[in-house]
Amino acid sequence: MWNDIIFAVSSVATFANVLAMSAGILAGVVIGAIPGMTGTMAVTLALPFTFYMQPVTSILLLVALYKGSTYGASISAILIKTPGTASAACTILDGWPLARQGKAGKALNMALVSSCIGDFISNISLIFLAAPLALLALRVGPAEYFMLMAFALCMVASISGNSLLMGIVSACLGLLLATVGEDIYGSYRFAMTEDMKGGLSIAPVLIGLFALPELIRMIVFRDGPQGKAMKLGDNHLTLAEFKGSFKSIVRGSFIGVVLGAIPGIGPSAAAFFSYGEARRSSPNRDNFGKGELEGIAASESANNGCCGSTMIPLLALGVPGDVITGVMLGAFMIQGLTPGPLLFQNNLNEVYMLFVGMIFSSVLLFIAGKLTARYFSRIAAIPQVVLGPVVLMLCIYGIYAISSNTFDVTILLIMGAVGFVMLLLDIPAAPFLIAFILGPMFEDNLRRALAISRGDLAIFFQSPISWLFAVLIVFFLAYTVRWELQKLRQKRAES
Amino acid sequence: MSKILKSLLAGCALAIATGVAQADYPEKAVTVVAPYGAGGASDLAARSLADVARDYLGDQPVVVINKTGNGGMNGARFVSESAPDGYTLLLARVGMALYPAVQESSPVGWDDYTFLGSLEATPMILAVSANSPYQNAQDLIEALKSGASPLAYGASGATSIDGFTVQALLSDNDLDPLRAATLVPYKGGSALATALLGGHVDFLAVAAGSLMPHIEAGKMRALMVYAPSRMDTLPDVPTASELGFEKAGQISGWSALYGPKGLPEEIVAQWTGVLKQVGDDPDWLTLANRRGSISTAGQGDLAAFARSQYELFNGMAKDFGYLK
Repeated sequence: MWNDIIFAVSSVATFANVLAMSAGILAGVVIGAIPGMTGTMAVTLALPFTFYMQPVTSILLLVALYKGSTYGASISAILIKTPGTASAACTILDGWPLARQGKAGKALNMALVSSCIGDFISNISLIFLAAPLALLALRVGPAEYFMLMAFALCMVASISGNSLLMGIVSACLGLLLATVGEDIYGSYRFAMTEDMKGGLSIAPVLIGLFALPELIRMIVFRDGPQGKAMKLGDNHLTLAEFKGSFKSIVRGSFIGVVLGAIPGIGPSAAAFFSYGEARRSSPNRDNFGKGELEGIAASESANNGCCGSTMIPLLALGVPGDVITGVMLGAFMIQGLTPGPLLFQNNLNEVYMLFVGMIFSSVLLFIAGKLTARYFSRIAAIPQVVLGPVVLMLCIYGIYAISSNTFDVTILLIMGAVGFVMLLLDIPAAPFLIAFILGPMFEDNLRRALAISRGDLAIFFQSPISWLFAVLIVFFLAYTVRWELQKLRQKRAES
Repeated sequence: MSKILKSLLAGCALAIATGVAQADYPEKAVTVVAPYGAGGASDLAARSLADVARDYLGDQPVVVINKTGNGGMNGARFVSESAPDGYTLLLARVGMALYPAVQESSPVGWDDYTFLGSLEATPMILAVSANSPYQNAQDLIEALKSGASPLAYGASGATSIDGFTVQALLSDNDLDPLRAATLVPYKGGSALATALLGGHVDFLAVAAGSLMPHIEAGKMRALMVYAPSRMDTLPDVPTASELGFEKAGQISGWSALYGPKGLPEEIVAQWTGVLKQVGDDPDWLTLANRRGSISTAGQGDLAAFARSQYELFNGMAKDFGYLK
């Protein structure tokens, strides 16, 4: 095995590979940072170019784009309160307050460091834990998915901000919106126009909910955010701050690894889980949502923690878990490689080269992040009167470009108005988004499980995985109720 | 007023430009719309066609764009409503005939197009997990008939192509197509393959492309092929018509090239010629082989075939009670 790995190192270190990875990561960071342009889009656009590359080079390019864009999304989340992709939505909760306190550089550095550590741990897991994680991924059937999603929705309590009630209201609205369109059995709900039959896509809802309300607020109240001018020099992350968040980074990385390996769950849910858990267990929990570095660490380590492990079902089983790995499967096929168990028998050399290249790309991600952070953090110094219109234009253009459909732009604008009303009423946007993303998985798997069991509810308590989540749900609900009661008592004592 | 005048003038100029274009088609890039997502069957077929057809179009490039959503109808509607100038074409799939056949109201009819030519047949496979007790299609049907333990099958939906594969088989064997097996809906070929691998459903009949890697790896067993002829890669697996299943024997996946209704005859004739050449092109045949599909480029009467497919699915939708 070691000989194989040494051989792989020497064959992966070619100019073409390094160029493909560096270019991919740099382009990914920039594309991810532009609101409305997603990693999926970057990977799709690059696909035709890979037809003429070496197999390993082409996959490394696609992986690099994916990793770069996942980190890049945090840049715009922190600096302009606009997540580049849904997985950075939790990064906003603390990144944006930090940027307003004039600590954007610190926040960016924390995002970069935790992204790279999450990424690295994920790559190592891909190499050493691929077999057990692939087995786990197959064991997760409709009933287990449903219990996992039920647990995820309970965690809305952690991202509700000041008021749990408002968080639940927000999550319910998100679940309601998720029902628009065709359900899994082919009947239509709320399909008032032809376009609504297909349901609402995530990107316009995400951008509309997070980016537009801030812009509308600027127009309506004629003021920009009261941010301090950025100091570029003294914004480094201190060792103490890093140590304080280290536990959350490692935990976030592993949450990312496990959830990334299960097909269909993805980095948004992982970031959200990690953030919720960090907030529950951190000594600084009261500072979460007001500009806590640990919050950024938890969210970013988890979403990049998915990047390597999302390749596990693709490589080990031959089944892509999301759109990006779906495009990668197409790229593998065009190259004449078939992902799955046979890949490890027939193309072991390529597999090792891919592994080595991916580990190497974690380092490249750090370098690319360091290089670009300096330029990106200057965005915070741009006057809002200039930045606002540019962001608005990018949002609208980006959303149109994803599916070339003006319906998505309409959704973007409507969601912007909804988001603005929510901002005025102090209803948090994050629970809305996460419920909107998880809603279809929650419902579809409930209906699948009940179809398989022919209506028998016992199916939800048949496997150890289901039991595990059932216990976690009870534990978490009890914990939340206790915490809420404590807060209530404190308030009473104060008044 | 001057604004209106200007746009009128621009419109005239455009009309003249397209008029000239028809005389010497194509004089700019041709856009082929793939109505489903990147990496899927329609996308890969479109990109392969784009790669090969350029040589036979006077070196004009073919550009592929994905217009997805609503079961492929968004892309289909976009093309059927485009100007019939030959510069916007559709990489049609079986869904373009299936959707109007099973929905009460469809944004595009099955024949709202100019039919340019068929491209490929993409077989579908009836498969079970490798550790399943069923060795062949007959075993499975007998288990379904005995009804001892209810079996579940995976499909994209009741009225999707991979739902009809199973329901047609049930109907051919005098079983109730809606009740003899339980439908468990999943979105997309990969999710379906995962559900079978994980043992969450008992069997399915979906596109070969999603299953072949697992069959080759020995994780799944192919029981029957939905295709006009046996697959080169599975020479021992019988087709549905060989086993005497009438409705199931007519079902298969396919791709074809459509244009908006009312394409000028010269352009149709030119594409007929181009697709004949594409069908003989070694690159096209290699790419088709890699995708696991059988090239039909330049063969058969597409309009008649599309009609027969529409009628097949429409008939089944009425039989099974999806349409009144």
